[in-house]
Amino acid sequence: MKQFNFHVKPIGLLDMLHFKKLVPNRAEKLAEGANEQVTSVYKVNRMSEFMHPATQMLTIDEIIAHDDDTKTFILTGQYIAPFRAGQYLSVYLTIGESVITRPYSISSSPQWTKEGKYAVTVKRASDGFASDWILSNWKVGIQVTTSGPEGNFYYEPLRDAGHVIGVAGGSGITPFLSMAYAIRDGLEDFNLTLLYGSCAESDILYKLELAEIEKNCDKVKIIHVLSEEKTSCYEYGFITSELIKKYGGDHPYSIFLCGPPAMYNFVDKEIEKLKLESKYVRHELFTSPASPAGLDGYEGDVQKQYVLTVKRFGEQLSVPMKASETVLVALERAGIAAPSRCRGGECGWCRARLDKGETFTPSHLDGRRMADKTTGHIHPCCAYPLSDLTIDICPE
Amino acid sequence: MEHNYDVVVIGAGNGGLSAAASSAKMGLKTLLIEQHNLPGGFATSFVRGRFEFEPSLHEFCNIGTADDQGPARQLIDSYGVAVEWVPIEDAYRVITTGEGADNLDIIMPFGEDAYVDRMEEYVPSSRPSMEKFMALCKDIMDALAFIRKSSGKVDTKVMMKEHSNFLKCGGYSVNRVLKSLHMPEKAQRILCAYWCYLGVDCDKTNFALYATMLYKYLQTGAWIPKQRSHELSAGMDKRIREMGGDIWYNTRAKRILMKDGKITGVDTSHGTINCSHIIAGCSPNAIFGEMMDEKDVPEKQKRMVNARNFGGRGFVLYLGLNRSAEELGLKDYSYFIYGSMNTAKEVARAKDFNDHPMQATVCLNVANPDCSPKGTCIMSFTTLYTQDVWGDISTDEYVTKKREVAENMIRDFEEHVGVTLTQYIEEIEIATPVTMARYTLNPQGTMYSYESSDWDTLLARLMMLKDDQIVPGIRFAGGYGPRIYGYSSTYMNGDLTARLTATDIREEKAL
Repeated sequence: MKQFNFHVKPIGLLDMLHFKKLVPNRAEKLAEGANEQVTSVYKVNRMSEFMHPATQMLTIDEIIAHDDDTKTFILTGQYIAPFRAGQYLSVYLTIGESVITRPYSISSSPQWTKEGKYAVTVKRASDGFASDWILSNWKVGIQVTTSGPEGNFYYEPLRDAGHVIGVAGGSGITPFLSMAYAIRDGLEDFNLTLLYGSCAESDILYKLELAEIEKNCDKVKIIHVLSEEKTSCYEYGFITSELIKKYGGDHPYSIFLCGPPAMYNFVDKEIEKLKLESKYVRHELFTSPASPAGLDGYEGDVQKQYVLTVKRFGEQLSVPMKASETVLVALERAGIAAPSRCRGGECGWCRARLDKGETFTPSHLDGRRMADKTTGHIHPCCAYPLSDLTIDICPE
Repeated sequence: MEHNYDVVVIGAGNGGLSAAASSAKMGLKTLLIEQHNLPGGFATSFVRGRFEFEPSLHEFCNIGTADDQGPARQLIDSYGVAVEWVPIEDAYRVITTGEGADNLDIIMPFGEDAYVDRMEEYVPSSRPSMEKFMALCKDIMDALAFIRKSSGKVDTKVMMKEHSNFLKCGGYSVNRVLKSLHMPEKAQRILCAYWCYLGVDCDKTNFALYATMLYKYLQTGAWIPKQRSHELSAGMDKRIREMGGDIWYNTRAKRILMKDGKITGVDTSHGTINCSHIIAGCSPNAIFGEMMDEKDVPEKQKRMVNARNFGGRGFVLYLGLNRSAEELGLKDYSYFIYGSMNTAKEVARAKDFNDHPMQATVCLNVANPDCSPKGTCIMSFTTLYTQDVWGDISTDEYVTKKREVAENMIRDFEEHVGVTLTQYIEEIEIATPVTMARYTLNPQGTMYSYESSDWDTLLARLMMLKDDQIVPGIRFAGGYGPRIYGYSSTYMNGDLTARLTATDIREEKAL
């Protein structure tokens, strides 16, 4: 402290007195606080709890059977979270010994949440452990537990083109139905052209509802594409780049896709021909394949059986695990309530620490954070075992 | 199953992580619990499409180079956490969009001499006052080092003799002291551009606090972890476990258990944990408001919590752009865009929504070119609110409102930096105080915990370390701790709190 002499007030000693007041000043201010109960929950906190509940208890209010394999369930609750058209609910199920989740897109208008209602549509999957169970066990009056609305598959005007080509396959129509309702109800403002692929006319879900929306709302246009039935009123074949060009008109448009993996495989190749910037192509969640056999980079043996050792909150247990299944499925089969939501590697909710062992994550599902890859973390929903594993999980 | 620990740390944000690491390193049986499913609190990352975003960090202070380490780097290194640190080139570019003197666009560098030289270029004849300012900063640093070394027993005589400059300026605001240095007003205002890192205007910010922050940035530069803050948080997680600590995620502390005025444990969403000491990374509001019976909270403690003001509530817009920073014409890492250079005016504007929110904006790729795929870049735009205004928005208006604020910020940035971003947006995410409340549970979604404003400044908190300890067995790390908010500060808070707790435990055993 040699360079210069410093003071704020004419006499530096007064400055020191000022400094000395810091403590008594603060003590005085602290003592002036109200002698009232303390809280950490303010308006914004309540809003956050309402908009992002960890779980929601809902009641099945109504069931609409579309055919033997597809039903729409109307779920009600008193204060249910609002959502953006295209988002999903993760449904918690206990089936026998297994505790599992399944993500289902909300198919109703966002407007419905005002009346305490969501609709989800469940279609029987070919190896549908959960869908089979839901279709035969979910009855009116039953209570179900779901997550809050999740997912990023929604229209965002700052990012997407004002014209969206929705490419839907089978029950992949559900998020688009919600988007169409949202446009009709004035909650969203964009043009939606829906290329909806079904096998035959009888397989089309929500045909009447979609026609009704199209009739009343000039921003929504529905094009049915049938792969196995030739009729005069519908397009025939698969959803090709030509078809997208035919209905897309002049670029820019954004393509949103939701459907089974086979559809993604086909349509993605078609979209490549359009040479669009990747920002104009958005996919709803992929799901982990039932087996990793044949996937790029997979060098394991799907016939093998391994041991999965699970550490949770200081306890440890071991369960059998098949090489062909994801770590999450092994946990669920063993009745271990592991966290999960999207089941496609994206949301990261299932993030777990891999203590020992090797896993395989298909590159198109690998949504891990960079540092997680180097610190031995996996997303069990899309990690297939290559050896015995020890993992650390923290159930909700 | 019974769970017994010496210390339970509640909350795995920066403060909780360093508290748990220091505690485990000192051999205390430590459990860190966190309600979210991963470590870090604000110091994390999230993935959208082909981008991994940094949620909150702009510039980590006190890191320094590997050879000339700052105290934060020393601390993180001492835990054995390997972080690849990336340096930031310039301190900041500040643009003010007003008229006349309030219309500026300047770039200030790191480095004491470079900073003074640049200031002289922008504000001729500012040099003498700037040199005085730097000398004063150095005096303050020396004084603080002396205070730290005296471990609570400061020799007043030495202070008066050796550190009188510190004592003379330590009680005043930034503006008051800068004025007394006869610094030209323009230089004062350029120098105050970091005000938004504290969220308090320079009439209310303690000079010693601001001066040391700026000086430390100028001396050691600013750094970021290469793989976002999550690299640091995930590295801390790993080392805490390796040092013998346990970590439970998805675990919410529900009640503090007490017997005869002493802590006996914590009830959590995953069972009861026995412990005699708690380090809270969360807010005192949560501990005393939600986890303890009102009758167990002493009056003094209640008054103390209710007297505090929450600091800035953050709003952050994240963009993943499908052009490189070069292609877009983004040359700078850190941009402050203010309506004027009058910090009091700017803070007053942050009380509510306005069409031109002040912004602290970062283009990550300028410092960290490989942070996103080739031909793309990542930006984040931050603004602050000094009130709970987002709580007044209805859920119907919420999405529209956040988009409106985002649009305003993008428009202002495009206009004043002279670039086009809108058409290149490939990914967008918007975090409001509601989002911050969701992930961190902070009251009002505050990022800056308790405001370090006039009376509640860092110096006063440090000097009242003992007085602030009211309920024995509970100490606060994180932004609510004595060394206030910010990455470097919260890391230091955690370590300090763990060491104080270890002392508590030793003293209790000695009794």
